[in-house]
Amino acid sequence: MLDKPASALRIRERLIESERLMEETGCYDGITELHLRNQDPLKFETLHTKLRAYCVSAREMARRISASPGVREVGEMVVAIYTPEGDAIALSNGIMVHVHTMSRFIKWMIRNGYEENPCIRDGDIFANNDAFIGTVQVPDVMDVVPIFHSGKLVGWAGAVCHELEAGGITPGGDVALAQERFTEGLFVCAEKVGENDEIRRDYVIRCERNLRMPIYWVLDEKAKVASCIDMRESVKALIDEIGLDYWMQVSKEFIEEGRRAQLARTRQLTVPGIYRGHTFYGHVTAGKPGYQPLGDPDWLYNMPIEMEITTDGKIIMDFEGTQPWGYHSMNCTPAGMDGGMFVTLTQHMNFEGLVNDGAWMATELKLPHGTWTNPDNEMVATATSWALLLPAYGVFQRLLSRSFIGRGFVEEAFVGQVNSPMIEMGGTSQYGKLFGMAHFECAAAGSGALAIKDGLDTAYVGWNPESDMGNIEIWEQNMPMLYIGRSIVPNSGGAGKYRGGCSFVSTWLVSKTDHLRLVTSEHSSRVFDNGGMCGGYPAPTCQKHRAVRDSDIFELAEKRAPLAHHTGTNPHRSELELRLQGEHVTMEGPYITAPHKTGDVFTHSYNGGGGYGDVLERDPLKTAMDVENGYLTKEAAEGIFGIMLDEDEDGYPVANLEATKRHRAEMRANRLAKAKPVSEWIASERGRVEKADFAPEVKKMYASAIKLSSRFTREFSDFWNVDARSIFMPGAKP
Amino acid sequence: MTSYSKEVIADLVAGTLPWPQTRRVMSAYKDDDRFFKYVAVLQDRVSWKDPILLPVSDHLFICQSGDERVTRCECGHSFGDYRKNWKLKASIIVRNTEETLREIYPSSDIPDPQWMEIREFICPECGTMHEVEAAAPGYPIVHDFQPDLEGFYREWLGKPL
Repeated sequence: MLDKPASALRIRERLIESERLMEETGCYDGITELHLRNQDPLKFETLHTKLRAYCVSAREMARRISASPGVREVGEMVVAIYTPEGDAIALSNGIMVHVHTMSRFIKWMIRNGYEENPCIRDGDIFANNDAFIGTVQVPDVMDVVPIFHSGKLVGWAGAVCHELEAGGITPGGDVALAQERFTEGLFVCAEKVGENDEIRRDYVIRCERNLRMPIYWVLDEKAKVASCIDMRESVKALIDEIGLDYWMQVSKEFIEEGRRAQLARTRQLTVPGIYRGHTFYGHVTAGKPGYQPLGDPDWLYNMPIEMEITTDGKIIMDFEGTQPWGYHSMNCTPAGMDGGMFVTLTQHMNFEGLVNDGAWMATELKLPHGTWTNPDNEMVATATSWALLLPAYGVFQRLLSRSFIGRGFVEEAFVGQVNSPMIEMGGTSQYGKLFGMAHFECAAAGSGALAIKDGLDTAYVGWNPESDMGNIEIWEQNMPMLYIGRSIVPNSGGAGKYRGGCSFVSTWLVSKTDHLRLVTSEHSSRVFDNGGMCGGYPAPTCQKHRAVRDSDIFELAEKRAPLAHHTGTNPHRSELELRLQGEHVTMEGPYITAPHKTGDVFTHSYNGGGGYGDVLERDPLKTAMDVENGYLTKEAAEGIFGIMLDEDEDGYPVANLEATKRHRAEMRANRLAKAKPVSEWIASERGRVEKADFAPEVKKMYASAIKLSSRFTREFSDFWNVDARSIFMPGAKP
Repeated sequence: MTSYSKEVIADLVAGTLPWPQTRRVMSAYKDDDRFFKYVAVLQDRVSWKDPILLPVSDHLFICQSGDERVTRCECGHSFGDYRKNWKLKASIIVRNTEETLREIYPSSDIPDPQWMEIREFICPECGTMHEVEAAAPGYPIVHDFQPDLEGFYREWLGKPL
């Protein structure tokens, strides 16, 4: 049983009542007037600042308890305070994905009768990492504790950490090879894992016996519980100061204010209307080890997105026309989709501090049932949901940016960034122990360009606003590999008037192990997923992995001969091939293969961001600096941007402005000569469409979208003036 | 209320406002009078007289042209009624071979042209590249933006169109 809810109603009835009031009044919990805010705005704001400070302070404490470099170094966690019904009031900085995921978790427990069994009592600890209950993916493990005051439930404190090891079919957390739920690892399905402020020993034993490196998970549990208790006690002390009735009212007004603030911000920053965009995700798995028979060999996913901004300021995102869920790890639940929206909104609109569930109530997601955004089967895998989730929200970033450009807030327009392929590993560590971990240096890829400047180089990912790759030395402590190179990848930002941020490539020497399995996930593979804007090009893909087995690197080092530290800029022959002897392997798409051992060399690269604006408008002086610093090659500067470079007396590149002007005039003339009217292109391309003269994966993609969406079918048919169903689904019932 | 001069907005739009100042603009409360100053800055940039109603891209604007509202390139070229997809009246270059993709990505990994192509949408008059789409072959050209112009002016800006 629940000790006592704060109102006379049981908490489940209170939740239903709150939702009814929202439905009837359009305002959170029926709060049509912000009485306390109007009464004393300073007190109101001070209290919210205090709550946020509790969260930030609790998170910082938790990071010092954690053993995981993901949490300690990279900050992959967030903590928050909730109402008794599970609505977020205030959050710390960190992985802002989880504004509403923990909310879903709390509400799920309330709706599923947890008041009666297993009961909700003071001192209880509940944990969850089931995305169909409320998280993004298996490694996002969350803990919540109820906050009781004077014997009444007055709220919840919650914390999430991204775990580096989840005990799945492959080592690490984002278990790329999972094709069903049953291979994703250790699930904790809204379970009571502690009582009287103590984590249960049997739960810890379960973790210890089901994880390759339980130290991360278990110490993160302790860190999260400590942060929750810290927040709980702070909230209780605050209630002692302001009174219970005031707390119960003000905590709800914070959320209603958050809702109103989101609507107002949208009206201030954007332009109402319909925005459209799309992106694609390609996955190359055919012939790779570990893929089970259920999985399709190779996949191409289309992700069309329509965003409506209504005149009352609501943002509605519609994913109709996207692909069905599949037997792979990249499906996403509505909780994960919420997460994607929130991490985007907190970076691009909610930058004034008051981030809570109110903003969620000012938005709407239309997630067609049966698609990867909302699977109609709860047994599907979601371990690498970011693979599809983030390209989709990269489009959201660009759609929002279009609205900022329309409104004049060009400094906020941002081409965005998609996802960076994560590397995970396991086997036998350099200490001779079983190990498994995800490597988070991918948290520092290249961002898309802005509408006023170049993107960030090696300093951004969409999923954590505080992108941090962590220290090399810390990562080396935890994996049997040593860095022999970490380099900027030239030309890895999309070209444009402002170029996308550059990515980097790491080169590792496998060391002191005879068994190191490497698996990469969330990979862009065969398609562009970091698009450009306003004439800017997409960033290149980063689909190739290069490895050298049984290399002669130790002999070379002994002789002090040059080593390979990166892959270089020759797409046909890498630096590894040039400098190292051994068995050379080049693999497209996800890297999944037989274990490596000491002496092998491996490279892994990350995404750059898309470009903004016409390439022929790029500043020649800035480009010379880019070439000098290794962000661009001279060949790209001249060939893509039309910028002619000379060398000064010290051999440094300098822009030749006159030659650049002439060259660009030629390029513009060539562009016009090559281009043809779109109407002509449509007429010539229609024959190819009618014959479905496409790669099998492309045909399958269209057939899937047509099967699921009448709107996609209509739009495709109207555009090409064809009957899409008869082309891609011959014999299907009309 | 935060407010900036037209000169500051002009420098911001041109990308020439010094970074410390830009950073302050980004971090401060937004200026509610931005839109009309922004449009005035853009109007100064174009050689034609038709009033700009809404920018839709870097060099593309919806403007009032007599009784019509059209999407217009900065050079003056009209792409027709703003409610229709301007891309359908543009010129296009499609890169769907390794050779043509390599022109833009000389040293990087590129996608499989069987899976994905690049479409460059160009002003047929001045050659400005207004948008680049990366799409699977056969994918319909997307209509990026259909603004609710009336709603925007009437309800958000409080001014008639």
